[in-house]
This record gives sequence, structure tokens and C-alpha cells, in this order.
Amino acid sequence: MSMAEDAVRTEAVRPHHTLWGDAFIRLRRNRLAVIGGILVLLIALAAIFVPIFSPYGFAQQNLDAIREGPSWSHPFGTDELGRDVFTRLFAGARTSLMVGIFTQVIVLAIGLPIGAAAAYAGGRADNLIMRFVDVMYAFPDILLIILIRAILGGSIYMIFLAIGLVAWVSVARLVRGQILSLKQRDFATAAKAMGAPGRYIVWRHLLPNSLGPIIVLVTFGIPRAIFAEAALSYIGIGIKPPTPSWGTMIRDGYDLIFSAPHLVLFPAIALGILMLAFTFLGDGLRDALDPRLRR
Amino acid sequence: MSTLLEVKNLSTYFYTQDGVVKAVQDVSYEVAKGETIALVGESGCGKTVSALSIVRLIAEPPGKIVSGQVMFDGTDLLKLPQDDIREVRGAKISMIFQEPMTSLNPVLTIGRQLTEALELHQRMNKKEALKEAIRLLKLVGIPHGERRIKDYPHHFSGGMRQRVMMAMAISCQPQLIIADEPTTAVDVTIQAQLLQMIREITDRLGTSVILITHNLGIVARYASRVYVMYAGRIVEHGPAAAIYHNPRHPYTVGLLASVPRLDEARKMRLEPIKGQPPDLIAPPVGCAFCPRCSQADSQCQTNGHQLVEVEPGHFTACGVVCKEARYG
Repeated sequence: MSMAEDAVRTEAVRPHHTLWGDAFIRLRRNRLAVIGGILVLLIALAAIFVPIFSPYGFAQQNLDAIREGPSWSHPFGTDELGRDVFTRLFAGARTSLMVGIFTQVIVLAIGLPIGAAAAYAGGRADNLIMRFVDVMYAFPDILLIILIRAILGGSIYMIFLAIGLVAWVSVARLVRGQILSLKQRDFATAAKAMGAPGRYIVWRHLLPNSLGPIIVLVTFGIPRAIFAEAALSYIGIGIKPPTPSWGTMIRDGYDLIFSAPHLVLFPAIALGILMLAFTFLGDGLRDALDPRLRR
Repeated sequence: MSTLLEVKNLSTYFYTQDGVVKAVQDVSYEVAKGETIALVGESGCGKTVSALSIVRLIAEPPGKIVSGQVMFDGTDLLKLPQDDIREVRGAKISMIFQEPMTSLNPVLTIGRQLTEALELHQRMNKKEALKEAIRLLKLVGIPHGERRIKDYPHHFSGGMRQRVMMAMAISCQPQLIIADEPTTAVDVTIQAQLLQMIREITDRLGTSVILITHNLGIVARYASRVYVMYAGRIVEHGPAAAIYHNPRHPYTVGLLASVPRLDEARKMRLEPIKGQPPDLIAPPVGCAFCPRCSQADSQCQTNGHQLVEVEPGHFTACGVVCKEARYG
């Protein structure tokens, strides 16, 4: 065969670099993002396995060993009811991660279609939706969450819902902005010229193009939701006992901060580390997925 | 040959903050079945807007097709309901855009984008559509289609992408392809290859082509008839040979004098057309070219515009030339 054809053949079999593949390579080069990712992974694994393999149940009381400091049998000590703080901490991590993930599912389920619909419809409908979003935005988040939670009641699912119902507005805003600007791009016109209906273009062409910023926003949304739940639990209207939550643990330990400081210290540090980990990861994802930052 | 598309007295305006931009005014042209016509003119003369108006791709607002008819195969496209015009787009009339780098969706695979129209218009299932996509890629000269359909646009060069656009455009065997400056963004050697390919494929399928370009060299080779646009109007049209060898409108004459020609003795300098194209918000009352025209007389400032036949099939909208034709 001719050389030209050989050249074509080798060119055609070179490895694929998808957009996501490229982003992953860039993410791996970012040290903080890798640390954040590993921390998130470790905490998630510990949240799954520590409560399973721990010799103590997270609600198992031992009134002979209350407010003990860290020891070999209780690495993070015990609380005022003799429960093992180490086990409770990772059972609490389950709660936190669930809050983080499920609220973001709700946020996407509401924010994505509403933002896309506003941008697609345009005109008066867009105006109406976005003014509503502005009003939602103007309220302090925690106040609205408390309000909605008061209406919905106190089960853990209602807390996901309450946080989700407040947090969707930022996703709606982002999606609307993305769609509005992507709508002007040549490939959108080209798709229209091929006879694709408007909804189809938004769904198949424009949304996949805004996936990067959406992923970043969701990654930042997770720690915010976790913190919101911790705050609710801290003021006593969040997760109900005996389900462990870091917010509840901090509040319960707060009364004993001088006699048994480890009761506040460990959940507070855990909360800080988890939030920081997600923030590092989000920063890294933003740098990796933003085409303007590509070198 | 029978007429496939007839654009009659089309006017498209844009309503902007500064006023009404009369981008296309009273433009008429026709395309026969299997014919390639060219719309030529400088940037901003309304070539693209007039073509986009055919399939109603003008953003509204600010744009609006204010009058005219676009008769395609017996129906007026401007009167079709939204859903029906969508059935025309891509299936009966498809477009090739100027910018291959931005006209493909960067996050979707080539296969996904090629199969889109097939699934939408031909109601093919995924498997059939992918098989057809591979065949189309081969047709436009892209080998190893079965592997390439998994690639993303950024794996392709500009010329290759334009081939993909071509494959998309012919995927549903349209009757008309509107090629909006299809080769402006690629280099000269690729240009010739692409145009040759467009011609071969459309000849084989009997597809009509509206070739929008500012490159007069392309026009001479690929179009049978030429429409010259200036400031939103057609100022001259006729068979390509007539426009080339016997241009009558001073604008066409100027346009031809300002490009290098290989078929004539080498001149020392190219002659640019002096001045700027007119403001389309407030175009001159008479002939739009009048302020830049060396032959203009007093009448040009007040009338013009009418296309008059100066030889069989060759029309021009220049008052001075027409007067000569009438009296001389």
C-alpha cells in the first residue's frame, strides 16, 4: 500500500482523548484537587465501613464509660452516654454525605429544567421565572430552610427536600445563562438548520455543553448543603436523635466543652475537613473543566 | 429545467436600537433543479441574510422577513407553520456554514451529529443511522468511518470538519443545499478539493446549490448563473460567463477589477473600489452604489434599482448602462 494510506491508518488509530479524559488529566495534575478527592473518597469509605465493622453500635450506650477521653478501645473517646465517638463520627459522615448528595439531586432535578425552560422560552415566561429566582436569592438560605422545614416536618428526607428547595436557584441561574449564551453559537444554528426542534437542541446540544460548570456548581453545593444540615442540627431542628449528625454531636458536646473537649473537637474537625475536601475538589474541577483556563 | 426555488421580492429587516437595518431589499432569484447559482458580494451586502431567510433562520427579534415569497416546490416557505418548516430544514433544504471550527458541537461525537438528521427526518434507528453515517463519511472522503464516528470534532482538521458538515448536509438527500461561504475558513488547496467534491456529489444526486461567496474565482468555475448583491439588493445577474466577460454594472466591473485573474495578462496593480458600502439604516435614495460610482450622473441619485435585461438572461440595475442600452 502507498505511504499516504499508511499515514492515514496510523493517524486513525491514535488513542482517543475525550473532553472528559482531558479534564481528568488536568485534574490529576492539580495537587490540592487530588488531596480533596482522596479525602472525600476516604471519608466516604470510612462512612460505609466503620459503622459496619465497629464493635460498638452508633447508638449503643455504655453508662460505665461516659465522657472518656481517647483510648485504644475508644480512639476518639466516648460521649456523655458512653457511646463510641469514633463510630458515631462515621455514622454521622453517612448523614452528611447523604445530605450532600441527595440535596444536589433535588437541586438538579428542579434547577436544571427550570433554568433551561426559562432560557428556551425567553420573553415573559423567562422574566417571570427569573424574578422568582431573584426573590428566592434575596432571602438568607438558612431562614428559608428553617421555614420550609417547619412546614414539611422533621424526617431526614424532608431535610434533604428543604435544603434542595432553597438551593436550586443557583443552578437555575447558571443553566439559564449557559443556555442563553450557547444558543448564539454556530453549532446551535447548524442544528436548527438541520431541522432539530428547539427542545431537542437545548437538551441534546446545549445542556451537554454546560455540563462542566454545572458539575463545578454541584461540587460546591455539596459542602454548603452539609453545612446547612449541620447548622440545622446544631440549633436543634435538624436530624432527630438517635441518627447521628455532626451538627447534633457538636451541640451536645458544647455543654461539656471544658470537661470533655474531644466531644466538640472531633466532629468539628471532621466537618471542616470534609468541607475543605469538597471545596478543593470543586476548585480543581473548575480549573480542569473551564476551557478558558486550558493551557 | 424546472424551477425548484423561487425567491420573490424578499425583504428582511433588522430592528435595532439605532434604527431599521434594511439588510435585504426586494431580492428575487431562482434556482432550477440540479442547478448551482452563486450569490456574490462583499461582507454585509445581505447574501447570508437572504439565504437564511429562505429557511427562516433569521433570529426574530431583531430580524423580520417583512415581505416576499419563497416558493419551494410549489409551497411558500414563508407561510408554513413552525413544525412544517422544520420538516423542510435538513431534509429538503440543508445548509453548510462558513465556520467548520464552530459549526460542530464540541462535546458530541461526529457519529452522534451525523445520525441526528437521519433519526429526525428519515426515522432510522440508531444502528441503521450509524451505518449510513459511515457510508456518508466515505462519500465525502473520510476513511475509517467506523472508527471516526467515535471521534469528537476537535480530532478533525478544518477541512475534515467541512467534509463532515457536507456529509451532514447531504445525509437526507435534500433537493437544495445552501453553502454559505463553505471554503472561506480553509486554505486554497483544500478549497478546491471541497468544491470539487460538492460539485461531484450534487451532480450525482441532482441537488441544487446556492453558493454564497465573495470569491469570484469560485463563482466562475462552479456556478451556472451569478447574482451580484450590493447593499441588500441584487444589482446584476446573469449567466456566469456573461457576468465574467461582459459585466455591465459598475459595481460588478469594480469587483472584477479588484481581484487578480490568472486568465489575463498580469496587470501592475489591482484596482480597489473607492469608498465604503452605504449605511443600511439610511441607504441612498437612488442607486446605492452611486456615491462610489465613477459613471454616476444626476439621475443616479434619485432612481435606479430596476433590473433591465441588457442581453438575453443578463440583467443589470444600473441606470447609466440601461440608458446606453436603450439609446445606443
